[in-house]
Amino acid sequence: MEITTVRRGSITVIAIAGSIDGMTAGSLVSSFREQVSGGNIRIVSDFAAVDYTSSAGLRALLETVKETRQQGGDLRLAAVQPEVLRVLELSGFTHILKLFPDVEAAVASFPA
Amino acid sequence: MKREIRLEARPESLKVIRDFIEDSCRGAGVARSDTHDLKVAVDEACSNVVEHGYKGRREPFPLGVLFEADEKKISVAVTDRGTPFDPARAPEPDLEAHWRDRRIGGLGWHLIRRLVDEALYESTEEAGNRLTLIKRRSSPEGKN
Repeated sequence: MEITTVRRGSITVIAIAGSIDGMTAGSLVSSFREQVSGGNIRIVSDFAAVDYTSSAGLRALLETVKETRQQGGDLRLAAVQPEVLRVLELSGFTHILKLFPDVEAAVASFPA
Repeated sequence: MKREIRLEARPESLKVIRDFIEDSCRGAGVARSDTHDLKVAVDEACSNVVEHGYKGRREPFPLGVLFEADEKKISVAVTDRGTPFDPARAPEPDLEAHWRDRRIGGLGWHLIRRLVDEALYESTEEAGNRLTLIKRRSSPEGKN
């Protein structure tokens, strides 16, 4: 799994590539925590290149969405692929997280 | 068709196990959607063993995965020698809860229950723990 972080104005875009599982989720959690603890609480996670997630990925997402929202921010997902979307849906996460077709739309969804 | 792998219950084994399920499903002509569902269910079962099964135990941490497929169903048995845990004891998460009240974790068994048709658990002193996940084939490859 690879994680790339870029700033887009007040938004932090974290692009993930590869599979999120019990082996790799730890580094994703660290990346999210690093941003949140640095005060970057408006986060878009680009899931275009995520081909797989287990519940380990869901834990990372739920922790981060809670942390950011409690501070007035949010974690929003972009370009979630069908198999990953199935896992999100079965876990009730599509009710919790805001999903967008691409990074542009997710970035634009945050108030200026 | 019957295939088995034996490895150690470590995080780095999870990808090896998913690749094993993927290859086995391809060999048995299992539909893409069933393959994905089985991969997640088996990954969750094995992740539980990796994370909790051998806590406080001394090596080795054996973990076995046995794949069997016939024309109607696919059956994957996960075996280990760790602390027994009957999945019937795992609480169901509240999927309707507000994000503030959603508990972090506890989704592994929920996903297993949703992704396979049956999950049979046995634990004996002699044979150790065995979780058998059974999925009925949804349709032939390419038609689902």
